[in-house]
Amino acid sequence: MITLLGKAASRAGRCLWALEEAGIEYEHKPVDYAKGEAKTDSFRAINPNAKIPALTDGNVAMFESLAINLYIAQNYGKGSLWPDDAAGNSACQQWTLFAATELEPPSAARLVEFIFKTEENRSQEALDAAAEKTKAPLDALEATLRDRDYLTGDYFNVADLNVACVAEYLVRTKFALSSWPKVNDWITRCLARPAFAVMLDIKATEMAA
Amino acid sequence: MTIKIYGSLVSRATRNLWMLEELGVDYERIDLDWIKQENRSPDYLKINPAGQVPTLIDGDVTLSESLGINLYLAQKFGGGVLWPDDDAGQARCIQWSVWAAGELEPAVYPRVYEFVFKKAKDRDDALIVKLAERTLPLLDLMEGALSASAYLVGDAFSVADLNVAGVMEYLDRSDFDIAQWPKTVAWYETTYGRAANQKVQGERAPVAEAMLKRIVEHSRSEG
Repeated sequence: MITLLGKAASRAGRCLWALEEAGIEYEHKPVDYAKGEAKTDSFRAINPNAKIPALTDGNVAMFESLAINLYIAQNYGKGSLWPDDAAGNSACQQWTLFAATELEPPSAARLVEFIFKTEENRSQEALDAAAEKTKAPLDALEATLRDRDYLTGDYFNVADLNVACVAEYLVRTKFALSSWPKVNDWITRCLARPAFAVMLDIKATEMAA
Repeated sequence: MTIKIYGSLVSRATRNLWMLEELGVDYERIDLDWIKQENRSPDYLKINPAGQVPTLIDGDVTLSESLGINLYLAQKFGGGVLWPDDDAGQARCIQWSVWAAGELEPAVYPRVYEFVFKKAKDRDDALIVKLAERTLPLLDLMEGALSASAYLVGDAFSVADLNVAGVMEYLDRSDFDIAQWPKTVAWYETTYGRAANQKVQGERAPVAEAMLKRIVEHSRSEG
């Protein structure tokens, strides 16, 4: 059985969303990075990167949240999260790397300003720089969504999940998406999915504990 | 139909050319000159809305993201060789590719910009220090992985090695000393030194030199 390590308020939330979409049984260990729980020898044996999330599944042990989601999709989401055709599969990988390289750096920079800093300590310069770098990837998404409902076609799959879980940072930090109406509509649909709501519940429960 | 790769020898397309050479697959390279903004032409924006290179076209498959293109090529043409047969190996190839894109590239690419495109006196030393601090744990991670096996995914060369080495070349080009990670040094020399890559790098060298001159002239003309 799959074990996912990392609390929901971390990037592990992305993988919890994927697991809930796949609808499979899994074990979740809410390892807390801030408490040093990822720096222990037992955790490092699973993930030498000493970061969360990590996943184990039989003899598979891996890290990188977006790669974990591709693994979940390929192995437990055939025909739904993972398309049946080679063109669809490669598109899922492409969008995953797009999320990691193009969208994550400016989105994460924004999240840092909003979540980890008080309002008076927020750097407008950093926010402006992030906003500038966000435009090109949003333009690319807008152009892609012009003729389809989801990134690789007409249904939700791991490409959407991996891009949406990063774009969610923009939504969370109230970045105005009005110039990108197709993106705005798409992310709204992605984040309205029941599996995403389950992940938010897990997160809320953990944070209240 | 022949595979097409859009991008020049001085772009991330070299990662894909290396992969295609490894696989021995026929391909056509279409150079796009970004100084002339050929990557912003309406025709190109149709296949790559962000105007970035590389783009691959293989029949009805159109792909961007250099490391994603390599995963596709390995899966299609490199089964059992560049793409492992087992689930665990495949998972780790994807893991290392995402890691190369998400962790390694942002730590090492800005360094090339400082070292290759700027004169020594114009370099941002604070940024260089910050990037180095970010790079150290990444090299520690690689050293750990390469202490357990000769390559990143077991004892055979795979797309994981190609994708990580294709990004690590930025450290090489910006003279970052990796001597304190001996396993990584040995792995990089073997991997980057592969005949398929040396062929690409050999073609790239004179083009890169000419390009650098043009960039310097271009930036002067932009004032």
